[in-house]
Amino acid sequence: MSGGAGYLGAMASIGAEDVPALYEGAKFYSPAVGDAGRSSVTSWLAGLLERNGPVPLMRVESVAPDTPCVSVCVLGSGSAMADLPPAGDEFVLAVRQIERLQNVRFGAVYPLAAATISALVPVVTAAQLGVPLLDADGMGRTFALIHHTAMHLAGVSPTPLVAVGPTGESVLVEVLSGPRADRMLRANVDTVGGWAALAAYPVDAGTLRRAALPGTMSRITNVGRVLLGTTDPEELVTRLGAITGCKRIARGRIAELEHLSRQNDVTIPAHPSSLVVEETGGLGRQLRIELRSEIVAVFADGALIAGAPDLMCLLDVTRGALATLDSLEPGDLIDVLVTPADAVWYSPEGMEMVGLASHGIPLEHPRRR
Amino acid sequence: MRARPSTLPITLGELARVRPLAGAELHLADPARAVEQVVLAETFERLRHCLPHELVVLHDEAATGGWSLAAALHLAWERNLSAVVVSRAVAGASSAALAERLAMSLVVIDEDPVEVALQLAGQVSAPAAARAQRQARVAEQLAEQTGIRGVVGVLNRELQGVPVALVVGDVVVAGQAAALTEKGQVRPIEVEVHGSAAKMVAAVPVPGPAAVDQVASLLRLARPSLQAAWARSRLDAAARASHEQAAFELLRRLGSGEAPSWTAELGWQVGLHNRAVWLAPVHPEGEPSDEVTYLIRASWQRGHSTWPLIAEGDGWISWHSAGDPDDLTALRRALTGFRDSAVAHRLVLGVGRAHEGVDGLMRSVAEARLAAHVAREAGTGSVQWFDQVGAAAALAWLPTTEIAQVADLTLAELMAAKDRAPLVQTVLAVLDAGGSLSQASKQLGVHRNTVLARLARARQLGLTYDEPGQRLALHVLCYSLTNLWSESRSGSEPSPP
Repeated sequence: MSGGAGYLGAMASIGAEDVPALYEGAKFYSPAVGDAGRSSVTSWLAGLLERNGPVPLMRVESVAPDTPCVSVCVLGSGSAMADLPPAGDEFVLAVRQIERLQNVRFGAVYPLAAATISALVPVVTAAQLGVPLLDADGMGRTFALIHHTAMHLAGVSPTPLVAVGPTGESVLVEVLSGPRADRMLRANVDTVGGWAALAAYPVDAGTLRRAALPGTMSRITNVGRVLLGTTDPEELVTRLGAITGCKRIARGRIAELEHLSRQNDVTIPAHPSSLVVEETGGLGRQLRIELRSEIVAVFADGALIAGAPDLMCLLDVTRGALATLDSLEPGDLIDVLVTPADAVWYSPEGMEMVGLASHGIPLEHPRRR
Repeated sequence: MRARPSTLPITLGELARVRPLAGAELHLADPARAVEQVVLAETFERLRHCLPHELVVLHDEAATGGWSLAAALHLAWERNLSAVVVSRAVAGASSAALAERLAMSLVVIDEDPVEVALQLAGQVSAPAAARAQRQARVAEQLAEQTGIRGVVGVLNRELQGVPVALVVGDVVVAGQAAALTEKGQVRPIEVEVHGSAAKMVAAVPVPGPAAVDQVASLLRLARPSLQAAWARSRLDAAARASHEQAAFELLRRLGSGEAPSWTAELGWQVGLHNRAVWLAPVHPEGEPSDEVTYLIRASWQRGHSTWPLIAEGDGWISWHSAGDPDDLTALRRALTGFRDSAVAHRLVLGVGRAHEGVDGLMRSVAEARLAAHVAREAGTGSVQWFDQVGAAAALAWLPTTEIAQVADLTLAELMAAKDRAPLVQTVLAVLDAGGSLSQASKQLGVHRNTVLARLARARQLGLTYDEPGQRLALHVLCYSLTNLWSESRSGSEPSPP
């Protein structure tokens, strides 16, 4: 186990010893997700990697441009996945189904979103298929819908896509417009078992060079190493800042959990609530952290200081570890960390898709003022 | 040019006193803040175009959650708005805390924001109408009150931040004593209450939420109710005073035995251990008037409405009945609370010991009266407990003025001398010390030879203190003269005949 070995830079392969760091880093990029299902997936992956050897991790540029690639991720609820664990062949089945449809043999796998469990399953798939994993992804964090990707913004269609449930049943979706695919899939996810293995965005590596976000798998592994390496909050923030560009915008104590917000937009399903934090140092501001399925905005004394697509996460100061949103309690001392998302999300198209307005907050993003 | 009072912009404080804001949850940072216009904001864009001194009612998109209220409060603060009005559905405790932090007024309403905004807009555009509405509401409330405290209470509730009191001379009969302070930026207002010696006093902070003429007109509005209440309470008080006086006389004649049942009807407690208090003027001037009795009763019974107060001779009797004769907490607290009034009315107080039953009460009354006489020596406001008096109480009964007149006749030579005061004082000291010159010189703080010289001169002037036959008479004389002179030290020494 080299969990605490520190920063390694870009990596050439992912082995069994990298799994804990990979998991921790994946959590950093999607702080809303709880730890349900953690052990089953990590031990499954670690076992695979031990048996089959490490999976090669390749930069997109170092793969031949005509190599067909496909992205995989987990669709649906993480707790459903804990209840109904994968049989093991779902992801391979999904990939094989697209291969049959398009009559190709995929030469590489890449994550749709290098965060949460979805950062682990591409490694599983690559190990099972015996192909390399690309050090790139479509989101650079998690967003709610499957067309919230850099590939979609670059004009790559998510379809044909295949979702395979733990029941072994599968759904093939072919649509003309990306956003329709998510709506059709969601209707089926419950039926196939609450979650599904998704294979989507079949595309050649040449297109991915301009369409995907590079280096994200290495990044989460390095973030995970930092998180496992120290529990001193000051050191943690400094070291995370060096890798991800994240900044601490405030430290404070949770004063209240409020459920007064109304949802005025139903494209993204989430229960809105907010967290009121009294800043302990500095100006003693009152912070209001708006929660949907993730943290979408941070207000200080009513002024918006950070908002989606920024990645905002909370660091439990006393434990020196990331706080997941379902573990928060009034009285906790937390650091509010803000990490800039990849630049593509701040473009007008990106902002329209995943910006504050998509969460029903019609305010201008602080990075744009 | 100064705007006419009726067209002055209405303030938040005034708006908060009338519907629809009257029933709302208010977090007012500055009630004196003027409201020049009302804006119904549906979007944040509308909020960004508000002008200073506007009151904004949030609605629809601008009121979608806690975050929207926080953002609106911040914008309101940036744009120097007067207040933010929002429906309760989105306002939590943290919003109130943020409003306080930004010093922005926040009003949380239960009604429909659009309706509230419309009503507010009407009030803001016609401030005189809103003020008239408020006065009408106050007039209704005043009409419901029958007591003095009730009337003054309505005024104090209505004029928050402006203390109002009803006073007679310098004594506060009802209301807040703060109305009499002249500290800081305060504009005093006085309104006479006809048919009584009382007047209403209010201290209006300037600049403050309440316009001076508004306060004055509300005070005038209260005048008829107050006159009626005053007259009624005077009648009641006079009837009660004579009733109690008669009842106490009856009780005194009854002597020993069980407390009769009618004492309970008067609210008296007699059966337990009774400890009497005698309130007496420091300079007796015959029977006190009903007016004074009324005032003394008002301040003595503040907080102890069950303690009787009976005019008797040149003072008043009261008593406290308790199961535990040694429990003095309530009495001590009452005495402390009464101290200011005692000074204002130039009273002294004597406290008797605790005795059981009716005859015990009478005994305690006698003790208290004796103690009050002793208390007169210590001057206005002093309290004397009988337990600490002992036999020295006898001296308190000496008719010092009459004895001094005897001295004028029998010791004419001494009384004519310029240095009569130190001579008499020295002789008294020597007699008090049983003839010991050294003790007397120590007590007087002069040399023994001085004492000797003064004694010789006193003897020459007829103060033959060492003749056994005259010693008692001269001792009493010296005591009386010293007492009389020390009482009027600041004024004149007895003028030479």
